[in-house]
Amino acid sequence: MPTVTFLPTFRKVEVNPGATILDAAQKAGINMNVVCGGQGKCGKCIVYVKSGRPLFDRDQFIRFFSPEELDQGACLACQTTIIDNVSVFIPENSLIQEQQILIETVEQESGFFPAVWKYFLELTPPSLDDPSPDLSRLLWGINRQGGPDDRKIYVPLEVIRSIPGVLRESGWKITATVALVPGGYRLIDVERGDTTKALYGVAIDLGTTTIVAYVRSLVDGKVLGIASNYNRQISCGEDILSRVNYARKGGLSRLQELAAESINIAITQAANNAGIDREHIYEVVVAGNTIMTHILMGIDPAYMIEEPYVPVVRRYLTSAAIRAGLVVKENAGLFVFPAVSDFIGGDIVADVLASGMAEHDEVSLLIDIGTNFEVVLGTKEWMFSCAGAAGPALEGGEVLFGMRANPGAIEKVSLDLHTLEPTYQTINRVKPRGICGSGLIDLLADLLQACIIDRTGRINTSIVHPRIRLGPHFPEFVVAWKDETDIGKDIVITENDVKNLIMSKASILGACITLMNQAGISRHDIARVYFAGAFGNYLSKENAIIIGLLPEVPLDRISNIGNGAIMGANIALLNRRKRKVLDEIARTIAYVELNAEPSFMDEYTRACFLPHTDLALFPMVEKLLDECRIRRG
Amino acid sequence: MGLQTLSSWTGQIGTVVLGATRSEGGSRSISYSIGGERDLPFLGSPPSGHRPLVAYEICDDLSIWPPVIREFLKDRIREPGAWAREAGDQWKPDLIRLFLTSTRKRDFRDFAAIRRTVEEVLQQSPLPLIIEGSTDQAIDSEVFAACGEAGEGERLLLGTAEAGRYRSIAAAALAYGHAVIAQSPIDINLAKQLNILLRETGVPENRIVIDPYTGALGYGFEYSYSVMERIRTSALKGDADLAMPIISGASDTLTVREVREADPGISQRVAVTWEFYTALSSALAGASIVCVRHPQTIPLLLDAIDALWGGAQELQGVRGSHLPHVRHETCQWQRRRGPLPLSG
Repeated sequence: MPTVTFLPTFRKVEVNPGATILDAAQKAGINMNVVCGGQGKCGKCIVYVKSGRPLFDRDQFIRFFSPEELDQGACLACQTTIIDNVSVFIPENSLIQEQQILIETVEQESGFFPAVWKYFLELTPPSLDDPSPDLSRLLWGINRQGGPDDRKIYVPLEVIRSIPGVLRESGWKITATVALVPGGYRLIDVERGDTTKALYGVAIDLGTTTIVAYVRSLVDGKVLGIASNYNRQISCGEDILSRVNYARKGGLSRLQELAAESINIAITQAANNAGIDREHIYEVVVAGNTIMTHILMGIDPAYMIEEPYVPVVRRYLTSAAIRAGLVVKENAGLFVFPAVSDFIGGDIVADVLASGMAEHDEVSLLIDIGTNFEVVLGTKEWMFSCAGAAGPALEGGEVLFGMRANPGAIEKVSLDLHTLEPTYQTINRVKPRGICGSGLIDLLADLLQACIIDRTGRINTSIVHPRIRLGPHFPEFVVAWKDETDIGKDIVITENDVKNLIMSKASILGACITLMNQAGISRHDIARVYFAGAFGNYLSKENAIIIGLLPEVPLDRISNIGNGAIMGANIALLNRRKRKVLDEIARTIAYVELNAEPSFMDEYTRACFLPHTDLALFPMVEKLLDECRIRRG
Repeated sequence: MGLQTLSSWTGQIGTVVLGATRSEGGSRSISYSIGGERDLPFLGSPPSGHRPLVAYEICDDLSIWPPVIREFLKDRIREPGAWAREAGDQWKPDLIRLFLTSTRKRDFRDFAAIRRTVEEVLQQSPLPLIIEGSTDQAIDSEVFAACGEAGEGERLLLGTAEAGRYRSIAAAALAYGHAVIAQSPIDINLAKQLNILLRETGVPENRIVIDPYTGALGYGFEYSYSVMERIRTSALKGDADLAMPIISGASDTLTVREVREADPGISQRVAVTWEFYTALSSALAGASIVCVRHPQTIPLLLDAIDALWGGAQELQGVRGSHLPHVRHETCQWQRRRGPLPLSG
């Protein structure tokens, strides 16, 4: 079998001939950046072959490489087949970049009330004077340590079987693990000696594309290890609809296995990073969208994509982790977030939990932006939600030089409104390779203020300026000249890009306004706006309002909660009291089906304008644009 | 009698002046002030605006004109100038709408011909003129500059600005003192957006006429009707970006299947009927100018409008801001004309 050596770590792995470098990397536990799921579409998994001759059709993928990269022997890991020994260098850019979330906030806000406890017990051995059975002795010991009453603890047979041996071999010094389960408690493990420190739980964000795992101590709540990898279901279809279709064709068990496998990989990685044994993981909490959690639990999602679009379950689910195929401690519990509807899943319930909006009397607006977007509007008394397709433009898709927020992406831009010269900043301060969502929003806002685009996004080609020109298909604005970039091409934004961005932002703003109309509130009533998702991290709040991505509110009311799904899962892992709240949140949120809401199309069209057809809704922007017009004369 | 108006509208549609008489610096025999409504026609009484005008559509290249019209005109087809003059004399439309269809040819560059055509029509016909220029952004600038300059001082109505191409036409209108038709695809929000774009380019609101696009009766006209009503009610509720008069062209009706496939014996009558009802309905929805291509539709429409809105004497000179009196004898037209077309 050929051996693949990965540099710079010199990690070695053997694979079958015909496997791809990506397969080998995954076998070696290296998390490569594979946005497209290994289909050769995203060009993110670039590696350099240092020795050996793998098979790679470079001409087919030449568009992904700069000349320097080609000189160094660049290949796409997912499209390169191994036939013999190779050594491969993986640049840092091709590894999944961890996204930071605000862990401190989680701990401050949530409180620490885990649902699994360990008790170190030094029991008195039985004697003729004290002949009570082993189990009673053990349970009384737990109760004496402040644990639950022995009558409330259920003990599975396999644990009972292990008790006599463990008690005597350990000299009656054992650690008992008790978990809270529906209707009472369960003794899930008895170990020799004192293992009370080895008590861990995992919080999982089960996304359609990526999975994030947090390993935390359930003794003090500390974060010990974090890992992420892509969802292996991608091999059964990129988007959620194709996954459901795969399930309908008898592929449910395969999808379920892949979901479990993906989570297991993430857990193993996170446990390795934490330096712990996954045998000491006693609880798994999973937040994911409705389809993903249904599949993980082996529930057929086939009927969810047909009218009238109802999920099978809305309440939270608990089970033994092993029943979902998760490899952690035997008997460990699994908690799965509740969903609101097909399109508002546990990930959004987690966002709501993480944002704290379910505790406020004032109105909050939560916007989770990805390829799809979800909006939740409400207070602790009531909430409306809706979901829709935003298109990939805000994540850099469908934009000529768009890219995800990876190194080399222009993340901030500003134009000098007189000279029209841009200044920009890229992620990791390297030469630019493209523009990511936050950069695109900055650009749109400044192009509008410089009167280079009109309010429908059309570029005014009558302006004479070297950066404004007619491209091969559309008018365009040059953001970075060829010699400044890392790709040997001018980085431009075209009129078509601008229009795609406007359509994306319009569907989000239109959805927000539709919900506001349903609730009968105006923008003045919104006390807080939360952005969830990676996208909000680097976003300029002011520019987001200038282009009308969200209703105009004072900037200090907008905050970003990052990956709310993993944050919510973390809260639920550490604080069992919040789990009941989740079901209440899911019940409180009313789902508004935008397709069945006739006013949505109207609101969408009104929002297909910068910032909105009705400027009275955007007084700050109106003032700004007036100033721009005066400056231009 | 008179119905009670249920609304409490406070807005008013702005007025747009079309055509300039000699004393106004042009050479037209008449000029019109359109708009000024405070309600929807016949919702209350009397109608508060001016009576709708009827425009007759001609062109400078008949190859894309509806077959039914070409068949009707046959040997009467002349150069646009003579066509405009004769039609004006014979059928008495209020305005002429000249389509520069010659510009639709591939690689059209003969802008001098455009200028000559416009000048000739202005010379031969004394009526205020609407000009429909090119539909290709690549030549818009030259075409509208030629039209605009040739008609300088005549207060033309230039068409058609769309969201994708409005700068050239706006520039020509601003440079030579004309008004602009702003066309959007049957959508109140897009109509509003285009008006905003035009105004941000500097076109004043009293030089914009909204064309919400008119589908043929039986082929989506109800959407057009509804959008006209929505535009009007929004404006009356105070939306200044929509408070402009509306123009509606019924030409889509001449190519519907019923007209194309009608028996040769009745095809003309079917065409006229279809066009008549579409145009009259547009007027009822609030259009200030209705445009038709079949000459025989013109007198029918004029009679119907006169009967509904009041006397034909209003046609003389610049109209006042309000009609003095409205006749409620709406059946007068039927008495004079006999049964409605096609029903006999």
